[in-house]
Formats: sequence, C-alpha cells, structure tokens
Amino acid sequence: MATTIKREYTFDKFFSGITFAAAFLVLAIIVSIFISLFRESLTAIDAFGFFGFISSTAWDPVREQFGAATTLYGTLITTLLALIMAVPVSLGIAIFITELCPKVLKPIFSTAIELLAAIPSIIYGMWGLFTFAPLMGEYIEPILQKSFKPIPLLGQLFTGVPLGIDILTTGIILSIMITPFIASIVRDTFALTPIQLKESAYGIGATRWEVIKDVIIPYSKTGIFGSVIIAMGRALGETMAVAFVLGNKHAIATSLFDASATITVTLANEFTEADGDLYLSSLFYLALILLGMNFLLLAIAKTFLARRGR
Amino acid sequence: MSDSIMNVNNLNFYYQGGVHAVKNMSLPIERNQVTALIGPSGCGKTTFLRCFNRMHDLYPGHCYEGEILFEGSNLLGRKDITELRSRIGMVFQKPTPFPMSIFDNIAYGLRLKGIKNRAELADRVEQALKQAAIWEETHDRLKQSANGLSGGQQQRLVIARALAAEPDVLLFDEPTSALDPISTGKIEELMVGLKQKVTIIIVTHNMQQAARISDHTAFMYMGELVEFDQTETIFTNPREKLTEEYVTGRFG
Repeated sequence: MATTIKREYTFDKFFSGITFAAAFLVLAIIVSIFISLFRESLTAIDAFGFFGFISSTAWDPVREQFGAATTLYGTLITTLLALIMAVPVSLGIAIFITELCPKVLKPIFSTAIELLAAIPSIIYGMWGLFTFAPLMGEYIEPILQKSFKPIPLLGQLFTGVPLGIDILTTGIILSIMITPFIASIVRDTFALTPIQLKESAYGIGATRWEVIKDVIIPYSKTGIFGSVIIAMGRALGETMAVAFVLGNKHAIATSLFDASATITVTLANEFTEADGDLYLSSLFYLALILLGMNFLLLAIAKTFLARRGR
Repeated sequence: MSDSIMNVNNLNFYYQGGVHAVKNMSLPIERNQVTALIGPSGCGKTTFLRCFNRMHDLYPGHCYEGEILFEGSNLLGRKDITELRSRIGMVFQKPTPFPMSIFDNIAYGLRLKGIKNRAELADRVEQALKQAAIWEETHDRLKQSANGLSGGQQQRLVIARALAAEPDVLLFDEPTSALDPISTGKIEELMVGLKQKVTIIIVTHNMQQAARISDHTAFMYMGELVEFDQTETIFTNPREKLTEEYVTGRFG
C-alpha cells in the first residue's frame, strides 16, 4: 500500500517537473531572443536612438546612415493592403461554408482552404514573380490606372509605371496567403453560434441574410478579431513571398505601383552584405522593432479578448 | 364553444433519411387557450411543435404531409415563411437573447417588420416588456447588454421579444427546463396571463406544469397522438391506459 502511494507520488512529481520544464523552455527562448536582439542592436541604438531611428528614411550603407521609416512603412502598408482585401473575402468564404453551402460541397471547400494554407511561401513567391506579377503589370494595373488616376487624391495611389513588381501585387499575394487563416478560424467560430440563437432570429421572421448579419457575425466578433490579429502577425512577418514581388526599394512610396521594402525582406537580403558593425547592428535593430511590434499586437489582442471574455 | 385558431389534420413529418417522427396527428388548437404537449423523450412533441412555424424548413431533406389549417389555408403550403414566423412566435428551452442591448433585442423584430419611427419603437418595446412582466427590472438599463440579465430574466426578455411582433400564436419548447423554481413560477404565471392576447402551445416534460397552466393536453407516444382532451380529463380520468400510466409516473 505504502509503496503504491510512494510510487504515485514520485511519478507525479517527475511528470509535473517535465511539463514545467517544457513550458519554461518557451519562456526562456523568448526572453533570450529578445535579449540577444537587444544586445546586437546596441551599437545602432547608441548611434540613432529610438525615435531618430524609426523616423529616419535614410538607408545608406556607404555613409553608414540607417533608419527604419522606409521598411516600417513598407511592412505596414503591405500588411494593411492585405488585410483590407483578405478580411471581407474571408468573411464571405466563412459565411458561405457555414450557412449557405450544400452539405456535400462543404468538405471540398473546407479542404481547399486548408490546402491553400499549406502552400509554402516560397511557392507563392515564385508564382507571384513569374505568373502573377506579369499579369498585374501587363493587364490589371493599366486598367486600374486608367480608371482611378483621374480621380483627385485617390488617383495618387495609381501613378507611376505599372511594372507588376510593387506594393499592390505584394498586398494581393499576402492577402491570398492570410485568407485561409482568417476564413478557417471564422468558419469555426461561426459554427459555434448556438443553433437556438439562430432559430430564435428565424423565429421572429428574420431572413437568412439578416440572421447572418445581426446574429452570427456579432456573436462571432471575438473570433473574427482574433483571426485578424493572427493573420496580421503572419503578414507582418512574411518574408519569402514578399522578397520576390516587392522590388526591395528603400523609399516611402505614395503609389501602389511603386516598389518598396519590408523589414523581413531587408533582413533576408542584406545580412550577407552587411560589412560594417553599424550596418549589421541596424539590421538587428530592425528585427527587434519587428518583434516588438508583433509582441505589442499580441498584447493588444489579449487585453481586448480578456475584456470581452468577462 | 369550441373556437379553434388552427386545425391539424393527418399531419405526418419525416426527417432527412425518412425517419417518421410525427405520425398522422390530428387535433384542434383552441383560440386563446393553452395547449400542452406531453410525452416521454423522443416521442416527437418538439418535432410536432416545430411544424407550426416551419422551423424544419431551415434544414434539408424534411417532408411534411397533411395540413395545419390556419386562417383558412394550409400553413404548410405557404411561401412567405418569414411572415408566418412573425405571426407564430417561438420561445426555446434555453434563453436566447441576441448579442445586443435589451432595447435592441425587442426592437430587432420590429425593425425587421419595417418600423423605423423612434417614438413608436420605444413605445412598442415598453409595451412588450410590460406584457412579459420584466419592465420593472429593465427600464433603467435598456441600453445594457441582454447577456447581463439572469436566466429567468433573459427568458422573459425572449418572451417580450416574441410578443413585440404581436403574434397570434406563441410556441414554447420546454421554456422553463433550464430555470430555477422561482423563475419557472414567474414564467408560468406570465403564460396564463398571456392567453388573453395569444394562443399558446407548450411542450413540457413537467407534468405538473402542464396540469397547472394548460387548458388542453395532448399526450404523444412514439410519434403518435395517444389522447387529446381537456387537461383535467387527461390528468384525472384518461381514456387510454398508456396515458394513465404516463401521467401517474409509471413510465417515461
């Protein structure tokens, strides 16, 4: 009897120790990444400061002048563009699959979305460069330019020579990449709407569209928000696909047809050629800013979700 | 003296896959009275109730046979189901407030009907909340989320929401099975009071509840109507042996 209890005790202690170690490892890795990025960035932080660095549009390896404004801008604008396009499409996909799709077709569409998420980003990049970008440059962008350029203010977004290697193409490819994430999470939260709640709305004479708009979407707000945050995190960090189609140009572009650069692409492209200490340190500083941005995003999402959950 | 608002004639209902859930039911639904549907779990009483507002139409593969006469025509043949559903309201087992404010929960159905005038909306909302005996508890917090109400309050809110559309018939599907005895008492009291205005059909597992509030009771077993009569008769002097066994608690 006593041995059994002792054995159980030892085993429990051992097991909880292992699980604790596994969980602790996660924390340790994150903290160590932060610390090492910070240490490597110190030279750049000393040279440019924080606000000086993020507000400077300089990126001049020869004169050793570096700033984050251009890449930060490229990162944010492509992500924003991707979200603007992906969110409505994803909601549409989720609504169709949960509410309108005939039962036999449901698994087909669901699997197709999951497959889209499984395509490696390098393939998106190759497809983007060799198929999609030429298509954009030759056919789609000239049409967009013709229709929107005459409009004041809005027209500014469509100036320049449409080459296909630009912010718009990148935004579209990113949106294709994040759509499956938003669509599948939103689909799952839509499916969680209690059947009785939907039937109640039908029961007082709501149509299918009214039930979707007034009951299912408000009920799933939290899930929709969460999926957008996850997708945003992915878009901010995407490297491979963007490297192929954005053109890697350090400038703040006002037209969607301009090339640009994101933080991740700059890191991927320039580490090998960073010869000076300050150059290398500035790249680490960029990485630190990206990580900080993602961290902040997650923190905002968590607080928001916690407040709603109460 | 019999004045029926609806007449069910030889109603059969089949689910997808051909499961025959309601078998050849015929009974009248008396105007401004409470009709209770009782029977053991799985006997088809909820399925039967959901025929009245065509809730089954939301799911594929169902099949109705027979008729439910309402205002002179078979409601099973009607095309304008949304209009029908605003005439025949439904309250479910679990309270189902919409994810919006108390006011908007009630106003929602009215807005669907095209009522936009603010004063009229406010008026109708107040009326509905008063009819459902929940105005006192909610009048100073109409803008707050309905999810903050207790279960019993939510159920009365849902009843108010159904009443706001001024229906002719209200369907209750075990409306108190998720509530505590005090809330249950309030809802029962409310239902008895409501029959001045509407006709009520209630599915209940609670035989005392059927005995307390209903005027007529239908006992169903395995999809069939075993007996339909005045509630008093069903509970004191039923014709069928099966009914007697059920109401005295010997099975079910």
